[in-house]
Amino acid sequence: MELTLNINGRDHRLSLDPRTTLLDALRDHLGLTGSKKGCDQGQCGACTVHVDGRRILACLTLAAAVQGRPVATVEGLAHGDKLHPMQAAFVEHDAFQCGYCTPGQLMSAVACVHEGHAHDRAAIREHMSGNLCRCGAYPKIVDAIEDAAPKMERG
Amino acid sequence: MADDAGRLYGKPEVRIDGAAKVTGQARYASDEPVANPAYAYLVTSAISRGHITGMDLAAAEAVPGLLDILTHETVGKEAKPPVGPDQKPTTTTLETTQVWHDGQIIAVVVADSFEAAREAAHRVVVHYAPETPSATFDSPGAEAEVRKTDEQHKDPAKGDAPAAFAAAPVKIDARYETPTQHHNPLELFTTTCVWDGPKLTIYEPTQTMYGLKAAVAKQLGMEPADVRTISRYVGGAFGSKGAATSRTVWIAIAARRLKRAVKLVPTRDQAFTIATYRAETRHHLQLAANRDGKLQALIHEGWEVTSRPSSYNVSGTETTARMYACPNIATKVNVVHADRNTPGFMRAPPDTPYMFALESGMDELAHELGMDPIELRRINDTQTDPVDGKPFSSRSLMKCFDAAAAKFGWAKRDPKPGAMRDGDWLVGYGCATSCYPSNIGPAAARLSLTPRGKAVIQLAGHEIGTGAYTTVAITVAGGLGLKVTDIQVFMGDSNLPPVPVAGGSNNAASTAHVAAKACEEIRQKLALAAVQNNAGIFAGADPSKLRLTDGALAGPDGRREPLETAVGRVAGGALEVHVENVPEGLPPDAAAGLYQGKMAMSRGTGRKDVTAYAFGAQFVEVRIHALTREIRTPRIVSAFASGTIVNPLTAYSQYMGGAIWGVSSALHEATEIDLREARYVNDNLADYLVPVNADIDHLDVIFVPEEDSRVNPLGIKGIGEIGIVGMNAAVANAVFHATGKRIRKLPIRIEHLL
Amino acid sequence: MRPFRYEHAADRAQALQLANGPREATASAHITAPIQYLAGGTTLIDLMKLDVMRPEVLVDINALAGQHGAIRADASGLHLGALARMADAADDLVVRRDYPMIAQSLELAASPQLRNMASLGGNVLQRTRCNYFRDPSWTACNKRHPGSGCAAMDGVNRKLAVLGASDHCIANYPGDFGVALAALGATVDIEGAGGRRVLAFEDLHRLPGDTPHIETNLKPGELITGFTVPAGPWTRRSLYLKIRDRQSYEFALTSAAVALDVEGGVVREARIGLGGLAAKPWRSHEAEAALKGRPLDEAAAHAAADAALAKAAGHGEATFKIELGRRTLVRALLQAHAMEV
Ligand SMILES: Cc1cc2nc3c(=O)[nH]c(=O)nc-3n(C[C@H](O)[C@H](O)[C@H](O)COP(=O)(O)OP(=O)(O)OC[C@H]3O[C@@H](n4cnc5c(N)ncnc54)[C@H](O)[C@@H]3O)c2cc1C
Ligand code: SF4
Ligand code: FES
Ligand code: FES
Repeated sequence: MELTLNINGRDHRLSLDPRTTLLDALRDHLGLTGSKKGCDQGQCGACTVHVDGRRILACLTLAAAVQGRPVATVEGLAHGDKLHPMQAAFVEHDAFQCGYCTPGQLMSAVACVHEGHAHDRAAIREHMSGNLCRCGAYPKIVDAIEDAAPKMERG
Repeated sequence: MADDAGRLYGKPEVRIDGAAKVTGQARYASDEPVANPAYAYLVTSAISRGHITGMDLAAAEAVPGLLDILTHETVGKEAKPPVGPDQKPTTTTLETTQVWHDGQIIAVVVADSFEAAREAAHRVVVHYAPETPSATFDSPGAEAEVRKTDEQHKDPAKGDAPAAFAAAPVKIDARYETPTQHHNPLELFTTTCVWDGPKLTIYEPTQTMYGLKAAVAKQLGMEPADVRTISRYVGGAFGSKGAATSRTVWIAIAARRLKRAVKLVPTRDQAFTIATYRAETRHHLQLAANRDGKLQALIHEGWEVTSRPSSYNVSGTETTARMYACPNIATKVNVVHADRNTPGFMRAPPDTPYMFALESGMDELAHELGMDPIELRRINDTQTDPVDGKPFSSRSLMKCFDAAAAKFGWAKRDPKPGAMRDGDWLVGYGCATSCYPSNIGPAAARLSLTPRGKAVIQLAGHEIGTGAYTTVAITVAGGLGLKVTDIQVFMGDSNLPPVPVAGGSNNAASTAHVAAKACEEIRQKLALAAVQNNAGIFAGADPSKLRLTDGALAGPDGRREPLETAVGRVAGGALEVHVENVPEGLPPDAAAGLYQGKMAMSRGTGRKDVTAYAFGAQFVEVRIHALTREIRTPRIVSAFASGTIVNPLTAYSQYMGGAIWGVSSALHEATEIDLREARYVNDNLADYLVPVNADIDHLDVIFVPEEDSRVNPLGIKGIGEIGIVGMNAAVANAVFHATGKRIRKLPIRIEHLL
Repeated sequence: MRPFRYEHAADRAQALQLANGPREATASAHITAPIQYLAGGTTLIDLMKLDVMRPEVLVDINALAGQHGAIRADASGLHLGALARMADAADDLVVRRDYPMIAQSLELAASPQLRNMASLGGNVLQRTRCNYFRDPSWTACNKRHPGSGCAAMDGVNRKLAVLGASDHCIANYPGDFGVALAALGATVDIEGAGGRRVLAFEDLHRLPGDTPHIETNLKPGELITGFTVPAGPWTRRSLYLKIRDRQSYEFALTSAAVALDVEGGVVREARIGLGGLAAKPWRSHEAEAALKGRPLDEAAAHAAADAALAKAAGHGEATFKIELGRRTLVRALLQAHAMEV
C-alpha cells in the first residue's frame, strides 16, 4: 500500500506491504537503522520511538497505523553535531556497553522525563523497566537520566 | 620505553565511539546498508531427534515475492559440515536429513520482502520420522561418559583426597545444580552476505573476525582471502558470537544462487537453537577441614550436558582446585550426550557454574565450623597454586574481601540465619570469592603517525561493549605521547590485521600489547633517525632515551623536537608500521596462525612460570518477603583486583554488568526444557527472565589496586568475566542467611522458599 | 504473518459495518473471526507474527478514541472508554484516588511503552501466555486446534492456572486490569450488528471447559465500547498486589485485587479478585463471604485465602501457586486493611 510517514519532521512516501511494522519500515525501507530489533515482540524495548510525542514500540506498530502522525527516532534527537542533553549524559556516565539497547533507552529516557517520571531514582528505575539492557548498564542509565533531567528542563 | 603505552592508564576516559552509539550512527551488522537485499527467514525443526522425510513447499512457493527455498535437497551438498566451538564435530543442518536437536535450521526461505519470507516460511510443511529424544540428565537414552584429559582439559589432583576426606573432623558433602542458560545478547544473530564475483563479504556480529572468515572459507571450499567479515559493532555477545555457527554458509549460498545480497534477521526464539548456550551442570562437592578451618580435602566431580556428536565441556574444576590451599585434591568431569544443540562459551564458561558449587560449599563449611565465611577464606588463602605449586602472578583476594566487606557493612551481620529482618522483609547477607584466569593471545596491528600528530591504528578487533575502541586509543595515545582524541581506531573488518577471539577476557591485554609494541616501533624509528641526523638536536644521543611526549620527540634533558620534524625525517607522509606481538610462552608461529583463524592463547593456568588469575570478592544483600517470598537484591558490592586498569570508566561498566549477570543467573535465568520433546519452551525475553532496571538498586564496584609485573608486561588481567563468577554463590549464601534454607539448585525462586 | 487487508474506521458505525462481514455470523468465536479490530496491536500483531492469529482483515479502531476514549467518574461509578490507553487510565488522578486498585492493576502491567499503546478494550481480550499456545510448532493445543490435546498439561507449566482450568486446557488468563474489573463487579458495554448490550464483566470471559478456543461470550464482530465500575464504599480502600519473579515488566505469578469497606474494624463488604492463578479474570465470592461481618485480622485473612483457593488444583510446576496465591491474598488483605483512606 502507498503511505506517507512523518519521521523526525520529514515526510516520506513509501510503498509497503500492509504487514510492514513501523520498525521494519524505518530500518529496511528508510535506512534509519538507529531503532533496533531485539525481539520483534514487545519484550525488550530496543525499538522504542515516539509517536505523537509518546514512547511506543515500533515492532508491534503497523506502519500503516501511524500515517499522518509524527514519529521521532533516535536519529532526530541531536541538533546537528550538538547532542541532546540525554545523549550527552549517556556518554558521560557510560550508560551503555554494547550500545544496542541504547537508542531505545534514550527514547524512553527522554519520554520518562517528559512524563514526569524522573523525579527520583526509584521512579526512574520503574519507568525505565520496559527497556532491557543485557549488558547491565542500569545504574548508569539512572545516573544519566538524573543528570540530564534538569538540563532538559532548562534547555 | 614500552611503559609509555600505559601512561594514560587508570584515568577514566569516555568512549571514543560514544557519540556514534547514542546517535544511532554506530553500525551493527544488520544496519550496514547493502544494495537491494533479499530477505531470508529460517525454517527450524519442530522435533529434536529423527529425520526429515519430505517437505511440501507448494504453499510457500505460491507466496508472492518468494525467490528461493534452500533445503537439504537443493543445497545440502554445497557446504562442508561445520565444527563446534571446540573446533571438533558438531551438529549439522542442511547437510543431511538428520535432526539433532529442536530448532535446527532445516530450510532457508528467501523472498523480496521480510514479510513475504516470513509468510512463506510459515507455510512450509515438514514431514518427519521422529524418534524419542533425550532432553537432559536422567532422560532415558542420554549417554554419559567420563571426559578424558587432553591438551585443553586436565583433571587437577594431588595427595589422597578420599582418605583425607574420610579422616577429617568437619566436612560437607553436597550436590549442586545449575540450569541451561542462553546468552540472549540484545542483538539477534543476523547475517548479511554479498558477493562480488568470487569474493564474499559477510556482515555478521562476531567475536572472531578471522575465526568466522576461516570457518566459512573452509565450509565453502574457498580461499580465505576471498572471504571478508565485517562487524564494526556487536550488540552484545557474552560468548555467543565467539565461534562460527551453521547459519552463515547457507545465507552465503542463498546470495550466490540469487546473485543478490541476502539478509537474515532471525527471530528471538531461533536465537535459542541456532547459536550456543550454557549447558546445565551438576556437581558433587566434598570439602573437609580441621576444626581450625584449614582445608584437608577437596573433591569436585562435575557433569555437563552436550549434544550427541560433540564433547564440548567447560571443566571448571581447573579453577575450583586452585582456589584455596588444600593438600588433597581430586577432580573429575563427565559429559552427558543428549538430543540438544551444542553448547558453547558463555561468560566465564567454566568458572560460573563450578564456582557456584565451591563457594556455596565454602559457606556451608563455614556454617558447619561456626566460623565467619570471610575468615574461612582467609585461613585457606594462598599465594601459590595448590595444584602445581607455581606462584600466583599476583593474588589480592583477601584485600578484595576486606575492601568489599568494609563498604558493604559486613560487620553488621548477625551470623545466625533468619535473624535479620526489616519490617515484612527477611534480610540476608552473603559473599563469595570471584576469580577469572588471565589470558593473553598474539595479535597484529597497523599503526600510522602523521607529522601533524594524528595516529590511525587498524586491527580486526571486536567492540562487543567492552570499550575496545577506547582501550586501544588510550594505549596508542600513551605510547605516542598524544591525546586520546588524536587517535583514530579502525576495527571490525577482517581486511585489517588479526587479533584473537574476543573471549576469555584476553581482549584488552592482547590488543593493548600489540598497540604498545606498534608505538614502540614508531618511537624507535623516529629516535634512531633523530640520533643519526647530524643536523638534528638529538644527533649522537642515546636513542633509547628519547620519548614521544606531548606531540614531540623529547630527550631526557627536556629538549624537544616537533613531530613534524621527527616524522618528516623518516617518511614522506605518515609513518606506518605493521607489527605482530606474540606473548611470552607462545610459539613464534602463533602470529602466523592468527591469519588462518587459529587462536593460540597463553592461559592463566597453563603457563610454565606462574598461575595467573584475577580475584575478587562479591557481596550481596537479599530481601525476601516474609509471606510471599519474592527475592530482591537491593545492595551489591564487589571488589576486584585485576592488575592494571586501562580505563576505569569502562572497566566499571564491565564489572557492574558482570555482577548484574550474576544476580540474573542466581535468581532469574533458566531455559525451560520440555522433557518429553527435548525442546526449549520459554524461548523469548518475556519468559526467559533477565533483570530489568527496577531489579538493580545500589551497586558498588571497588577497584583494589594491584600491580602485576609477571602476568604480562603491561600488567593487564581480564575484567570482562570475573564480575559474574562469585555472584551465584553470594546470592545463594545470602538466601541461606536470610531464611536458613540452603538452595543448591539455580535459579532460586519463590517456590523454593515457600 | 498472513496477508490481510488493512481498513481504517473513522467512527463506531463504520467500524461495526467493516467488522461484520458475511462470514462473521458463522465464525466460531470472536477471537478467531476473520475480521479483527486493531487497537494497540500489542496482542494482535504479536500473535499474528507468531502465526497464531491469522485474520484476513484488520479494522483499525484507534480513531474511535474520540467517541470511546474518555475516562470519567460520577456518582454511579467510573466510566472507562475502550479506546482509553492503559497509561491514561493509570495516570488519571481521580482513578488513582478513588479507584486505586484499577490504577495499580494498570501501572503494574507491561511496560510504559506498552501501556501507551494498549487500549483497555484490547487489554481485557489479551490471550494466554501459555508457551505451547504461542508457538504453532507444538501440535497439541486445544485452544489453537480444538481436539489436538494439551501439551502444557504435562509440560512446562509453571505460570499456568490452578483455578478454573479443565482437562482440556490449563492456560491462565494473564492480564491484571481484567482482574480488577471482575473484583469490583464492573460491566462491559458492547455494540454489535444487532445493537447495544451490557454484560457483567464476570460473564465476559468463559471457563475453558471442553471449548478452550472460545474465550469470551462476545459474538464475532462485536465491539467493546467501554466499562463501568460501580461506585461503592470499598473502592477507595482498594489495592492491587502483584507477585512476580522480577520487580517489573513481568506477568503476574499471582495477584490479588482487594477492596474493603471496613467499619470499626469489621468488614462490611469485600470485593476480591485473583490474577495469574485462574483461567479467566477471577472473582472470589467465597473469600468475600468469608470476610463479611468479621473483624479483619490475620486469622480472617487466612480464612478468606483458604476459601478463595479451596477448589484450586495444581498441575505440575504450577502447584506452588496455590500456596503462593493464598499468601498473596493474605498480604493484600492486611495491606488494604492498613491503608489510610
Ligand atoms: C511483553 C508484554 C508484556 C505484557 N505484560 C502485561 C502485564 O504484565 N499485564 C497485563 O495485564 N498485560 C500485559 N501485556 C498485555 C497487554 O496489556 C495487552 O497486549 C494489551 O493490553 C492489549 O491491548 P491492545 O489495545 O494492544 O489490543 P490489540 O492487540 O489491538 O487487540 C487484542 C484483541 O482484542 C480485540 N479488540 C481490541 N479492542 C477491541 C474492542 N474495543 N472491541 C472488541 N475487540 C477488540 C482485537 O481484535 C484483538 O483480537 C503485556 C504485553 C506484552 C507484549
Ligand atoms: S494449556 Fe491451553 S493454551 Fe496451553 S497448550 Fe494446553 S490447551 Fe493450549
Ligand atoms: S524489538 Fe520491539 S520490543 Fe523488542
Ligand atoms: S548496552 Fe548492551 S544491551 Fe544495553
